[in-house]
Amino acid sequence: MTAKNRRVGFALALGVAGMVGLSYASVPLYQLFCQVTGYGGTPKIGEPVAEATGDAIGHIITVTLDANVNPDLDWDFKPGVHNIDVALGEETLAIYSARNMGDTAVTGTAVFNVAPYKAAQYVSKIDCFCFSEQRLNPGEEVPMPVSFYIDPEILDDPDTAYLENIILSYTFYPSRTAAETDEDLDETNG
Amino acid sequence: MSDDHHKPSFARRWFMSTNHKDIGTLYLILAIIAAVIGGGMSWYIRLELMEPGIQYIDDFQFYNVLVTAHGFLMVFFVVMPAMIGGFGNWFVPLMVGAPDMAFPRLNNISFWLLAAGLILLVIAGLTGGGPGTGWTVYPPLSAKDYHPGMAVDLGILSLHLAGASSILGAANFITTIFNMRAPGMTIHRMPLFVWAILVTAFLLLLALPVLAGALTMLLTDRNFGTSFFIVEGGGDPLLWQHLFWFFGHPEVYIIIIPAFGIISEIVSTFSKKPIFGYLGMAYAMSAIGVVGFVVWAHHMFMTGLDVDTRAYFVAATMVIAVPTGVKIFSWLATMWGGSIEFKTPMLYAFGFIFLFVVGGVTGITLANAGMDVAFHDTYFVVAHFHYVMAIAAIFAMFAGFFYWIGKMCGRQYNEGLAKLQFWIFFIGVNILFFPQHFSGMAGMPRRIPDYPDPYAGWNYVSSIGALITAIGTFLFLYIAWTTIRSGEKAEANPWGEGATTLEWSVDSPAPFHTHEILPDMTGKAPAE
Repeated sequence: MTAKNRRVGFALALGVAGMVGLSYASVPLYQLFCQVTGYGGTPKIGEPVAEATGDAIGHIITVTLDANVNPDLDWDFKPGVHNIDVALGEETLAIYSARNMGDTAVTGTAVFNVAPYKAAQYVSKIDCFCFSEQRLNPGEEVPMPVSFYIDPEILDDPDTAYLENIILSYTFYPSRTAAETDEDLDETNG
Repeated sequence: MSDDHHKPSFARRWFMSTNHKDIGTLYLILAIIAAVIGGGMSWYIRLELMEPGIQYIDDFQFYNVLVTAHGFLMVFFVVMPAMIGGFGNWFVPLMVGAPDMAFPRLNNISFWLLAAGLILLVIAGLTGGGPGTGWTVYPPLSAKDYHPGMAVDLGILSLHLAGASSILGAANFITTIFNMRAPGMTIHRMPLFVWAILVTAFLLLLALPVLAGALTMLLTDRNFGTSFFIVEGGGDPLLWQHLFWFFGHPEVYIIIIPAFGIISEIVSTFSKKPIFGYLGMAYAMSAIGVVGFVVWAHHMFMTGLDVDTRAYFVAATMVIAVPTGVKIFSWLATMWGGSIEFKTPMLYAFGFIFLFVVGGVTGITLANAGMDVAFHDTYFVVAHFHYVMAIAAIFAMFAGFFYWIGKMCGRQYNEGLAKLQFWIFFIGVNILFFPQHFSGMAGMPRRIPDYPDPYAGWNYVSSIGALITAIGTFLFLYIAWTTIRSGEKAEANPWGEGATTLEWSVDSPAPFHTHEILPDMTGKAPAE
């Protein structure tokens, strides 16, 4: 193996290591990218409410509340009302309710999405039950509130200006991190 | 040549080989074995699809496993080993005037990693229902919820080994081509096949680590509680698609660029002219390689990309037609005014160009996001990629086989039988895949074992084509066998004045050691 070959081989090995690193670096970068751009239906979180001005004052968009439960979770999860009319730039409270139908205490976690995806960057959540895990005892029913607003800039974007309806969707899954603790608790209870 | 008295024992020669020619032969043997298995799976699939209803495969997971394994085998264990490992190992050192590869022992590791990968893939197919994920391995289908057994894990490890093998091989090729060219063999005088392998090696080096990273994430998602692609853990299944296609799109060029190289050699040899636009050809391949890395999301038009993103990926994808067109027209211009000899390799080169153009045209169709919405996951896509990368690649491999078999084993094939084999195969694959455009445009989805009656007609025709292709395949195996056993003795250069590259300057079969005295290329024209 000549020194020249070793040098090229070493440079190429560095290149390979760099690409593996890049593939892992893509995970946080992709997440950041989704949060910043609303890509793939990721709504904004915790931004100050932007007041409506001009034409946007009094502009109403109907928000449809959608609720789903993963089959592994024996919960009844539904929105209080199916549609709410939301004025642009106005903080709005929507309330879902969840009830544990099983006979053990379970921790669930909700993932969220906005459809159409292109509207997501204009939907901003101020507070949400989906920000933390929810633990329900057998038979317990709990209200699940979410407060959000729609950014008036939605009217300035030609791709979204025509929208009259936006879907806010949640799916509850059994929590992956809390699953083991649930079993431990069940054993001590039982 | 004074080296033929060098005779290692059988086990030493074939299991511990560091000789680029023997390792090339091993790759070719592995590719043929995998091709028979993968081909057998596709014929079984076509048998089931010959008529509507369920005839032979009533276990649908098994059908999915067949489709998946067919894809993996053909991509990772047939085309890549044959073109890069097989022809690449055999002819890159010969063509650049090097005595062997830069890292001969690494070369041995590359091959045996691949062999181990093939064994792991077979074991995966036989474990707990098998991996029925499709070759794209999208989660959540490939996650623990839907594939709870060990099959997918074994499949992932198999791809890890195949990937490691290719990365090591690629590093070896690049080092060989950069450092071990004969005096006077400048980068701009290298034969186009060497250029093709160089570009391919860079694509492998940059794309495969991303697949390896993504597969490792999937493996830890499945077994060690991470949530890269699991929604409820904060992951995103779409991230897999981005990572997979960031590898997957360059992968299709990894498959077809070596084919470009083989076809360039053959067209030039049998037109008895240097290739038209040598530099344009070399840099067209490089351009395809570069642009190939920034078009991946055209596989994901259905995932809700916004309209601007889609517009970019449509435009970037269509740009690839430009360097590809440069190649097609340069081949035609090479033939123009040439003294063309229709030996079997040249027939296969013609066949390649025809099939590649058909597949390229449907590729431009599918590049339109608007049309892709209609064609996504239909047989139109199946027809497109089989034309452009499956049968086009197979044609280039057959072309290379008939072109170089005399050099590799010292015996020449039977020209009459080989031409017959070409025509059977050419007619077979076209009857097999052309009607799939029609079923696809009519909306027939891919990856299904059963379909509604209106699709019956073209599926029947397609299956007849598969039968003809199978006959052509077995005739090829017969020709290969009889050539090696009892073919006529091949001359050092059986093709005459058109064959100007360095491999024709050594005996047939090429001696165990070649170019021990480096050939001097100073002042000569480009090898092509």
